[in-house]
Amino acid sequence: MIRLDDVGYTYPDAPAPALQHVSLEVPPGSITGVVGASGAGKTTLAKVIAGFIPQVEGGELTGSATVDGRNLAELSLVEAVSKVGLVIQNPFNQISGARYTVRGEIAFGLENLGTPRAEMAAGVDEVAALLRITDLLDRSPYALSGGQMQLVAIASMLVLRTPVLVMDEPTSQLDPAGTRLVFSVLDTLEEAGVTVVIFEHKLELLQAHADRLLVLADRTIALAGTPTEVLADERLSGWGIGATRYTRAARLARERGLIGAEVPLPVSFDQAAAVFGTGAGGAR
Amino acid sequence: MSAVRFENVRFSYPSGVEALRGVSFEVPTGQRLAIVGQNGAGKTTLVRHLNGIFQPTSGSVYVADAATTGRAIAELAASVGYVFQNPDEQIFASTVIADVEFGPRNLGCSADEARSRAMASLATVGLAAEADTHPLHLSLSERKRVALAGVLAMQTPIVVLDEPTTGQDAGGVAMVAGVVEALASAGRTVIAITHDMDFAAEHFDRVVVMAKGEVLADGPPVVVFGDAEALARAAVEPPQLFRLAAHLGWPDRPLTVEGFVDAFERR
Amino acid sequence: MSSTLYVERPSAVHRLNPVTKLVALLCVIVVVFAIPQWWASGAVLLLVIVPAAVISGCGGALARIGGQILLPLLVVLVLVQGLTFPGGQTVLWRWGPLALTTEGLMFAATIGARIVVLVLSSVLLVLTTHPGDLMSALTEAGMSPRFAYIISSTLQLIPSFRARADSILLAQQARGLAVPRNPVRRLGVLMPLLAPLVLGMFTDVEERSTAMEARGFGSTAKRTTLTPVRDSRAQKVARWVMPAVALLAVVLQVGWGLL
Repeated sequence: MIRLDDVGYTYPDAPAPALQHVSLEVPPGSITGVVGASGAGKTTLAKVIAGFIPQVEGGELTGSATVDGRNLAELSLVEAVSKVGLVIQNPFNQISGARYTVRGEIAFGLENLGTPRAEMAAGVDEVAALLRITDLLDRSPYALSGGQMQLVAIASMLVLRTPVLVMDEPTSQLDPAGTRLVFSVLDTLEEAGVTVVIFEHKLELLQAHADRLLVLADRTIALAGTPTEVLADERLSGWGIGATRYTRAARLARERGLIGAEVPLPVSFDQAAAVFGTGAGGAR
Repeated sequence: MSAVRFENVRFSYPSGVEALRGVSFEVPTGQRLAIVGQNGAGKTTLVRHLNGIFQPTSGSVYVADAATTGRAIAELAASVGYVFQNPDEQIFASTVIADVEFGPRNLGCSADEARSRAMASLATVGLAAEADTHPLHLSLSERKRVALAGVLAMQTPIVVLDEPTTGQDAGGVAMVAGVVEALASAGRTVIAITHDMDFAAEHFDRVVVMAKGEVLADGPPVVVFGDAEALARAAVEPPQLFRLAAHLGWPDRPLTVEGFVDAFERR
Repeated sequence: MSSTLYVERPSAVHRLNPVTKLVALLCVIVVVFAIPQWWASGAVLLLVIVPAAVISGCGGALARIGGQILLPLLVVLVLVQGLTFPGGQTVLWRWGPLALTTEGLMFAATIGARIVVLVLSSVLLVLTTHPGDLMSALTEAGMSPRFAYIISSTLQLIPSFRARADSILLAQQARGLAVPRNPVRRLGVLMPLLAPLVLGMFTDVEERSTAMEARGFGSTAKRTTLTPVRDSRAQKVARWVMPAVALLAVVLQVGWGLL
């Protein structure tokens, strides 16, 4: 679905590239998580995949980036955004600010695309129900808390039903229940065939929901694989990504000789339950 | 001596919404207190009473054993440093250093003293190299660290952190944790609002669970995170390793990675 | 905190197509400025604005807001024109070089009546028309959506700017900034805080424009609107008849002058 081959990018007037030699592949209908320390280039990569770089930001993009087999550089911005939706990091800047109700705000994109009215109203109601913000629909977008705004911002992109959705830290303002809700919505989208690329710090949730993980370090994709492969990798801490508490506990137990080096490092609750429960630990 | 005391605090917004419905608890000096609960539970409203942004509709709030009633925000600022959740609501100056110096200058520090405190705080949050940068050229997570430095430089006896770890990577979370530990070991009181239960379990002495303007549970993390009913009502889950130990039927309820491995060794 | 004066009421005036109301407003203004006699303004006031205000149920708000705007204007007008009108012959009262003349008062009444009509009819439009509806209706009537977006977002910018200014101010007080009670000194303290805020809003605009493109703002499709704009055959007719009447008033007035 999305394919980047040796992509490099330098912002206008920037002394150093923000991304270099980035190659990645995102299969259709999957959830791909991207992890990386602050400053590793996550927001830049999100904008490349969404077709905003270089069209909007300028600068120099090298290599090739394709979505659905079409070269992003050759797509107009309008075409690109019809294929890839981008949820930006700051939800307060996602909203248009030109509508007086949350309902109108969510419908804004559909209005731009000329969606018939009945379809538009149904679409707004549907995403609002999905994200449990129906009670906010008649409120002013300016009277929302950060968490509510984040859900409205996500709804405003979901409603456009783009085949690909790129989300830049979409749960940063949410409480645990809100965060779980967003991840469960991602599962729903995946079942509906949507391709999701999510940039996120919450490793445990990525482990539970993502099909694949990409590690962005030093401006390039340093590692790619299944969550289990990636999260157990020793190099993650050095890249500033850390590790799940399950993995950290198992490493410490290994160091203390409590579990053998042959036991694979757990990255999830269930794997950890196996390692520390009836598994190696239980044998002692 | 108590750093902070809430006595049956009720608060209603002008719109009539009752955000706090009788909150009472006391925070001894030097304690690290985490307040958890869903968005809209009243956590931010509660802590904003500490520096006089809000005055209780009824009940009383005491800071260092003196009621906040009638005291100006600027006056309470000498006792309570408050780091806003959204750094863009706090940072205003055109360089990072000027913004961080602002608080100490208001508290009467000399220019030199303010500068050295600001540089030390920036070093603490890992942004010493960005002192002369315009805050708008930093990322959101960096701006959050600037906001933290701005309050640390005030060296107040009480520090309130509103969701300090959101948007931070592993290094950022570790940095905030280090700040909490350093403040506590210097005898200062830390009150943090957080959605990260693991962070609360690992770095705080006490956890208060709030929902709908009330306190549902209050105590040491190991007790509070064992109160399944209160946690369910507040829609939060216990920390991951705590939950795992319970799932495995261990007698211990570890709060940290080390504690978990110790418990594993003991069984 | 609201950016508009809009008062929600279930009235026929509220239900009119915003474009109809806008056309009516413009026609009323053209008529009272075309016909200089004060009775023309008086007639418009009594026959159009007062009934519309009563039907809308916003009479109280109109009187209050209109009064606040008009009272100082009218007082100044009467004082300046009534006392110093250069062609004044019939002196009613004199004090030194100042003379209250009938001609001066008549002139003040002519100008004043027009201003009253202009202000009250504009305020009534604002009270009975949600700006969002006005923009939707104008877009549907062919106005550029980009232009509509700029207007709407600017209107919304004011409350968002205020909210942000309030929170910045609170945050600085929380960092020990003493805000003086004296309004002049207060402004002196606040200005340096707000200048960077404006800059910040511009940076936001940049990021927001990225987000807007992601939401199809650059699309060339024919736009639709979520809320249908209410319209009727009678209103369509009225939107032609009203300008025709206004034009007639202008023509008659010009013709009268030529004769």
